[in-house]
Amino acid sequence: MTDAIAPAREVFRNLGTPAVALFYLLGALAIAIFCWGAWARIRKYRRGRRSPRLRLAGARLLHGLTAIASHSTLRKRNASTGLAHFAIFWGFVVLFIGTLIIMIDYDMVRLVDPAWRFWRGAFYLWYSLALDVMGVAFLVGLAVLMARRWGARPAALDYTRPDRAADSYSRRGYLRDDALFAWLLLLIGLTGYLVEGARIAADRPPFETWSLVGWQLANAFDAAGLSRRAANALHWWSWWGHAVLALGFVAYLPYSKAVHILVDLANLLVHDEAAGRRLPAPVEGAASAGYATLADFTWKELLDLDACTKCGRCHVACPARAAGAPLSPRDLILGLREHAEDRLGGLSLLRETRPAANDGGDALIGPVVRPETLWACTTCLACVEACPVGIEHVPLIVQLRRKLVEDGTMDPTLQDALQHLDRYGNSFGQSERTRAKWTQGLPFRIKDARRDEVEYLWFVGDYASYNPRVQEVSRAVARVLRRAGVDFGILYEAERNAGNDVRRVGEEGLFEKLAEQNMKALAKCRFKAILTTDPHSYNTLKNEYPALGLSQPVVHYSELLADLLRSGRLTVAKPAGAAVTYHDPCYLGRYNGVFDAPREVLGRIGARLTEMGRCRDNSFCCGAGGGRIWMDDSGQEERPSVNRIREAVGLGSVQYFVVACPKDVTMYEDAVKTSGQEGRIVVRDLAELVEEAV
Amino acid sequence: MDIVVPIKMVPDLVEELEIDSEGRDLDRSSLKLRISEWDEQAVEEALLLRDKHGARVTVIALDTGDVDETLFTCLAKGADRAIKLLGGEAAQGSSRATASVLAKALKGIPHDLVLTGVQAVDDRDGQVAVFLAEALGLPHVSVVSGVEPAGPNAVVARQEYAGGVMAEFEVDLPCVLGIQAAREAPRYAPVSRVRQAMKTLKLEAAAAAAPDAGAGSTVRRLAKPDAGGRAEILEGSPEEVAEKLYAILKGKGLVKS
Ligand code: SF4
Ligand code: SF4
Repeated sequence: MTDAIAPAREVFRNLGTPAVALFYLLGALAIAIFCWGAWARIRKYRRGRRSPRLRLAGARLLHGLTAIASHSTLRKRNASTGLAHFAIFWGFVVLFIGTLIIMIDYDMVRLVDPAWRFWRGAFYLWYSLALDVMGVAFLVGLAVLMARRWGARPAALDYTRPDRAADSYSRRGYLRDDALFAWLLLLIGLTGYLVEGARIAADRPPFETWSLVGWQLANAFDAAGLSRRAANALHWWSWWGHAVLALGFVAYLPYSKAVHILVDLANLLVHDEAAGRRLPAPVEGAASAGYATLADFTWKELLDLDACTKCGRCHVACPARAAGAPLSPRDLILGLREHAEDRLGGLSLLRETRPAANDGGDALIGPVVRPETLWACTTCLACVEACPVGIEHVPLIVQLRRKLVEDGTMDPTLQDALQHLDRYGNSFGQSERTRAKWTQGLPFRIKDARRDEVEYLWFVGDYASYNPRVQEVSRAVARVLRRAGVDFGILYEAERNAGNDVRRVGEEGLFEKLAEQNMKALAKCRFKAILTTDPHSYNTLKNEYPALGLSQPVVHYSELLADLLRSGRLTVAKPAGAAVTYHDPCYLGRYNGVFDAPREVLGRIGARLTEMGRCRDNSFCCGAGGGRIWMDDSGQEERPSVNRIREAVGLGSVQYFVVACPKDVTMYEDAVKTSGQEGRIVVRDLAELVEEAV
Repeated sequence: MDIVVPIKMVPDLVEELEIDSEGRDLDRSSLKLRISEWDEQAVEEALLLRDKHGARVTVIALDTGDVDETLFTCLAKGADRAIKLLGGEAAQGSSRATASVLAKALKGIPHDLVLTGVQAVDDRDGQVAVFLAEALGLPHVSVVSGVEPAGPNAVVARQEYAGGVMAEFEVDLPCVLGIQAAREAPRYAPVSRVRQAMKTLKLEAAAAAAPDAGAGSTVRRLAKPDAGGRAEILEGSPEEVAEKLYAILKGKGLVKS
């Protein structure tokens, strides 16, 4: 069959025709079982609503493929885990391609014309080398992750649900699935080497020195005194062991966590980078404004549910969970997945089990997701950012909240805030006529952007306008801008809350109303750019208002201050010199990638910055976002803001806790007070430090 | 069952109130109006009854300006009909006159149960419900916080007194009840639903009859209260403060010995 000299090997060495026939039969069976499971899943996704994600994936295909190939999302902040998975991934890919090559060569090319076979000679040697090396990577990666999972037992892999009583569910199925998956892969790898080692020990083809591991294994067998006969027997047994395990794996794949190999490839390709930053409009013509049942889900959202590998990165990053709230983004997804499997099929074999069946019908809110769970979310986006497989929790949470708002299921304090926002355009319930009252404490009058053309239209926002403490900061900003000769103006009474958090609460109608009012006011003004100190306003103005017709750029004051200092329009007279730490606001940093401007400002005014462990895109939310600031937080074990201040104080000798968000000023001053850290650290706004330094 | 809820618009106290040049009324040109909070409670109680027992809820208001959005909000919350009475300005500010206009309007509107706020911030007497019952010749209970049906022809109205004491009255239908509070906080009307209602639903309009009752009282002078300026802050340890407070109270003859 093959050239005697050319390096190659017989595919079904040591096996008779009946054995080969049996193998093909088993193979066909495994593939049939695989196809059935895969089809059940695909049928489930096809029931989802349409969503233009494929077009999106096309546009950023290269980006998606790079993320997958480089494991950038997996390595982020978990370098060792990411690297181990990287080894497994590429090991698996190479071994899989290796198997495909044999199939193409032996089951296709050979049947057409044996002379065309290519799996021999130099190609065969390089093939052997590559597979042997990558097999080692595969096994080492597996061993590392297995040691992590069952040895180090990180908190992320604790499957306890914070949103359910311990006796109302069991996740033993998940643990078994984990073990089955890991051991299957490990044994497939090990038996593969065994087959190779035994074959080489029996035949000793000289060119097989290229099979590094197999050759050494054969040496070990020789040293142990294995006869040629015994080597052949070992080959037979390990060959069948390997074959049955591998075919079993193929059959088991779509019914287990192994399906993530396929689902997550797809999910990463159709992931939208703007997820959460720009929320979807409600479904047109739908009976409900939000998601009531699975029928409302898009196919991408159904895919998201199956994509979760239970890695728990979102679970440990979530500030709501850390505060003891009944929310874990992981369990939100997994709970919905279990429900989707019940209703739409595409079952996993080893699942969460519950003593009592869900008799809540198709409804999601209540039996599947508790309202308290949804209301606990601060929309900080830490989950989306942490998720290595592109799951988009936040838009889903908002869609479900829209249903809660429609049903009026909300905290009375939130209802008050929304009614105030509707009536007065601010959450404080104060007269819209007093919106610009804070400017009265200034020695000059700020231009009225409704009348005069300005370079920067300063969108002030609620907290900066109405909260007495933040008003001081607003005045400091105004004085600094004036000093630098910046041409700016405000909208006075015409400004309304920008609606960022209103939208994230799920009150879409109110968001639309506020945005329309703002757009109407803005349309009458002439300005080059919008300036704001409020990251929440910044996000919606920058990412969501363009759809409503806003075309000017949006600038955060930290960016403008950095510019002014850099260009010399502001000069530092008294360098700050203070030891400070800086808190990245979610909506500025994680949402919009503004990390460097505030740090540049601190550097230029001479502050000595010490970073907290959780900084930049890993910043820890203050707990105010997504409308949480309007809700009751008395039930929390430790408020996120207090947790954060503890982290800052733990740095040692930091004088100032610097913030660049109006809500943060109030959140953290409160946290410093209530946690008894007064005198240890002082909350300062970036603008206050700049004003002192120039 | 037909439930009718007369509501009214009152000045929003969030805004600075100004008195007009004659000194007998608020400067209405600068006022912002909102639904009276007790009327909002009456609407909620009506909707709760409807949700639980089935009923038709009609909300009716004198058109004293800015009432449209409020009526649409009631429709968005679930009211079946919303009627505004045009040209009722003459009755504004007087419970008796308002009640007489409403009573005439109710002649043409089926009503088994009339619920309305027990008072309003701009009332002189808080007696619209009383006068309305009188004009319609119907039984009346005031300061009600909770209504339940009692058979087909009666309701039980609950009153709460200080100290956790409660009373229940069985009242024959039709009747008029002055509502102090609904059993639950007024529900939220999502903005999209209100806007939808504005787009797709119509308010019914009817002409207000001339009031056939006078106000019964007239405003002589309206003025802002004099700023007190007599506040005194007691400082010191709790014991010292208590001591000083006792001395002051004793000095004014408010405590004995
Ligand atoms: S957005 Fe933040 S608070 Fe909400 S689920 Fe994700 S991590 Fe938790
Ligand atoms: S949602 Fe993403 S980050 Fe969270 S557990 Fe699942 S895979 Fe991990």
